[in-house]
Amino acid sequence: MIGQRVLRVEDKRFLRGEGRYVADIALPFMREAYVLRSPQPHAKIVSFDASAALALEGVDAVYTAADLPASLTPIPCRIPTHGDMTPFLQYPLARDVVRFVGEPIAVIVASSRALAEDAAELVAIEFEPLPVVADAAAALDPATPKMYPPGNIATQWGFDLGKVDDAFAQADIVVEKSFSIQRHSAMPLETRGLIASYDKARSYLEVWGPTKVPHTNRAMLARMLGMRDGDIRFAEPDVGGSFGARGEFYPEDIFIPYFAMKLGKPIRWIEDRQEHFASINHSRECTFDVKASANKDGRITAFDVVLVADLGAYIRTHGDVVPSHAAASFPGPYAIRNYRVKATAALSNKTPSGTLRAPGMFEANFAREQIIDMMAEKLGMDRAEIRRRNLIKPDEMPWYVGTQSVNRPTLFDSGDFPGLFEESVSHFGWSAPLAKGEGPVRRGRGIVALVEPSGFGPFESARIEIDPAGFATIFTGASNQGQGHETMLPQVAAEVLGIAHDRFRVRHGDTAMIPYGGGSYASRTAVMGANAVHRAALAVKAKALAAAAQMLQAKEEELTLDGGRVIVTANPSRFVTLAHIARVLTPGNAELVPAPKDFIKDDHDGLTGEVFLRAIPSGTAVFSVHMADVALDIGTGELKIERYCVSGDVGRAINPMIVEGQLVGGVAQGIGGALLEELAYDEDGNLQTGSFADYLLPSSHEVPRIEALVVEKAKSLSNDLGVKGCGEIGISGVAAVLANAIAHALGTGARPTTLPLTAERLLDLVEPRP
Amino acid sequence: MTTRDVSFTLNGRPATLTVEPRQTLADAVRQHLGLTGTHLGCEHGVCGACTVLLDGDAIRGCLMLAVQAESLSITTIEGASPPEGLGVIQDAMQRHHALQCGFCSPGMVLALEALFAHTPCPGEDEIREAISGNLCRCTGYQPIVAAALSVAEKNRANLGAAAPSA
Ligand code: FES
Ligand code: FES
Repeated sequence: MIGQRVLRVEDKRFLRGEGRYVADIALPFMREAYVLRSPQPHAKIVSFDASAALALEGVDAVYTAADLPASLTPIPCRIPTHGDMTPFLQYPLARDVVRFVGEPIAVIVASSRALAEDAAELVAIEFEPLPVVADAAAALDPATPKMYPPGNIATQWGFDLGKVDDAFAQADIVVEKSFSIQRHSAMPLETRGLIASYDKARSYLEVWGPTKVPHTNRAMLARMLGMRDGDIRFAEPDVGGSFGARGEFYPEDIFIPYFAMKLGKPIRWIEDRQEHFASINHSRECTFDVKASANKDGRITAFDVVLVADLGAYIRTHGDVVPSHAAASFPGPYAIRNYRVKATAALSNKTPSGTLRAPGMFEANFAREQIIDMMAEKLGMDRAEIRRRNLIKPDEMPWYVGTQSVNRPTLFDSGDFPGLFEESVSHFGWSAPLAKGEGPVRRGRGIVALVEPSGFGPFESARIEIDPAGFATIFTGASNQGQGHETMLPQVAAEVLGIAHDRFRVRHGDTAMIPYGGGSYASRTAVMGANAVHRAALAVKAKALAAAAQMLQAKEEELTLDGGRVIVTANPSRFVTLAHIARVLTPGNAELVPAPKDFIKDDHDGLTGEVFLRAIPSGTAVFSVHMADVALDIGTGELKIERYCVSGDVGRAINPMIVEGQLVGGVAQGIGGALLEELAYDEDGNLQTGSFADYLLPSSHEVPRIEALVVEKAKSLSNDLGVKGCGEIGISGVAAVLANAIAHALGTGARPTTLPLTAERLLDLVEPRP
Repeated sequence: MTTRDVSFTLNGRPATLTVEPRQTLADAVRQHLGLTGTHLGCEHGVCGACTVLLDGDAIRGCLMLAVQAESLSITTIEGASPPEGLGVIQDAMQRHHALQCGFCSPGMVLALEALFAHTPCPGEDEIREAISGNLCRCTGYQPIVAAALSVAEKNRANLGAAAPSA
């Protein structure tokens, strides 16, 4: 089953419109919430008057920070950071100051969402504007007024490995360039939403809508509200995409459940798209100043990087993880020992930022891979050749970069980078001549190599239960936002147990069914979730063989599990099915455990297997190559992607169809980030992007055909299945490869260093103007 | 709160709803009838998740008011799906892995239904054009296009039709 292109079982309900997303759930006596958000980027709240709103028939309550428990702390940062972030944390509802457009101020609860919105118009708030910190450059300027007593810089840190200055002094060539990556976000097609319901008498709070890391967030809610973990259930419905943005512990995750408890009625909050633009975590905004050196033979000798990230108005649950990853992994798949980075996390009056698919890596790849092309140009060396000469070799694995991010060492456990590189280059035909440009059209080709750390821990769980009819249920600690876990995890279990994969069901994301779970991020479902399922299946198998030995009066060594039956290897007509074994192992069944005569004793616990797996902190690493041919019209700035190929060594593809889908979909998202998407602010801190008319997602016209080359060359050495994951490599190299192809097309040494690569920006690079 | 009655044909059967005049068709079928396969991704007419068929044409359920449906015939994904299993387009989408999170899928299915209703054998350009108003954040469209091409291929074989126009 592993390795087969099994069609997805979840597709049927989605295609028939029977998926159940959070907005599709309703509870009796449920009320609807609207979150009143700050229209001001930075201001004191001078007065707040909701009396007119409360007078509307059907309005239950207008809650503010004063209605939250007085003891409530700000939302803690849950990831190790560089230094103390407590001065910069956000309260779930603004107290006396708002610091970004979209910051929640009040929650209006009413009989309908439309009514709650009407009521919001009647709330009178008086603000006293405060000076705005517009961006990181302003934050770094000592003359800028301070947003917080400690200032406008959350933290600074760095690494200084090897002898960078000596390397520069001795190098044959040195190049320098600055790069800028724009603020954008995951933008899943479904907005966020929650339904919370509280059974006060039994002290049980249920929340539908949380996903990605429901167990982690449930624990945070329990801590913040002084509740018991077991009194809270977080349940994941179907989810319309996440791409990194759904796992934060958002302000709504606290106040919607709390106000449902306070009101004594279920509350549903469904975000609208305009709200989403201001409230989902933003990401990516940063600049890199890069200096790099190389010798005549193409050996890169040093990188020196200044990284400044604009994290927005508050530090939230994900701390400084995005620039932290970028700083730790900047050297990429290359054997570079002289590396220095100085990183700054700046604050500004914009929406707080967090993760987006390939956090920090999309950004770092954009800068590093262009600098490498610049070195190749200066050396007069082929751009594939310079990469070839610097890739980490298989015999250099495992490779310690020498950096850490969130207390994890940056470590590549295994890999045949040169192997995949050569395969990709020859598949694409790197050296084949480019078609000539006609008229104003210039053609160019780009290549980038990257490595994506994946499969982060700390642990994962799986439980498999076989019922007496032979059906199986997998309970996984991984969560699902569309990746295909309901198909892929059964494939893994089916491989071991020989039960048809469609006899499985997968339950996920529900803390009431699953005691511990790590959730889904950084390709960890394939790496951690699938390995946990694999071992749980092995546990079921061991149990089944032991029971079958008794039932068939044979030795375990004489038995084989095959096609859902345990057979006597030498005499296949003697067998018992897993269904039969499950029946016998049902608690209370007397066949193998007769009732005791005079004293209670232990019973069977069913044909089940349960596993908790501990991960290695550094996870594993996926190597990938992107190549593209573009046609740039230097008259209009129009860019056409004529060919795109992404390859990845995923170690082992559990379902190659799903892997290809991740790669192709990832590239499509990367095209958005490279060419179209931007959360734009004016210099006064007002978010200019409020609809899909001004935040452009790639449509069927913008995404070309994408070739995905899925390779299983170097299995991960850190897990049983050898898998490495595939969620991030598709997006990670897109901006980099398109920029390199554009620079090649221009052929003048000009480079697109500022994202997104709009027609206007590309035209600015054309010299002389046609 | 004033309300109005609106009567129309929904998924082949007569329906009468009492709605607020400002309520959109998408909200009305979702909230009054529990037909939640019509999704809302933007509520401003760009994403196509709310696509329904109006007399066979794909339209945006978030841009049309429920009261405007008076006497018209509306088909939602629930009505466009066979009683069990998958229709031809849906089946092709599954086979080509043309969905991940599934949030765009009902809208995609209906956009393609509308295309195939008048163009049984569309080429790639026509398919891309037909779904250009339906955003998908997961798949990159490629497998959706491939699924639609496979349906076109099948139709062509059945009709013995000539090569596509695009
Ligand atoms: S919800 Fe109607 S077009 Fe997006
Ligand atoms: S499948 Fe997720 S938006 Fe299309």
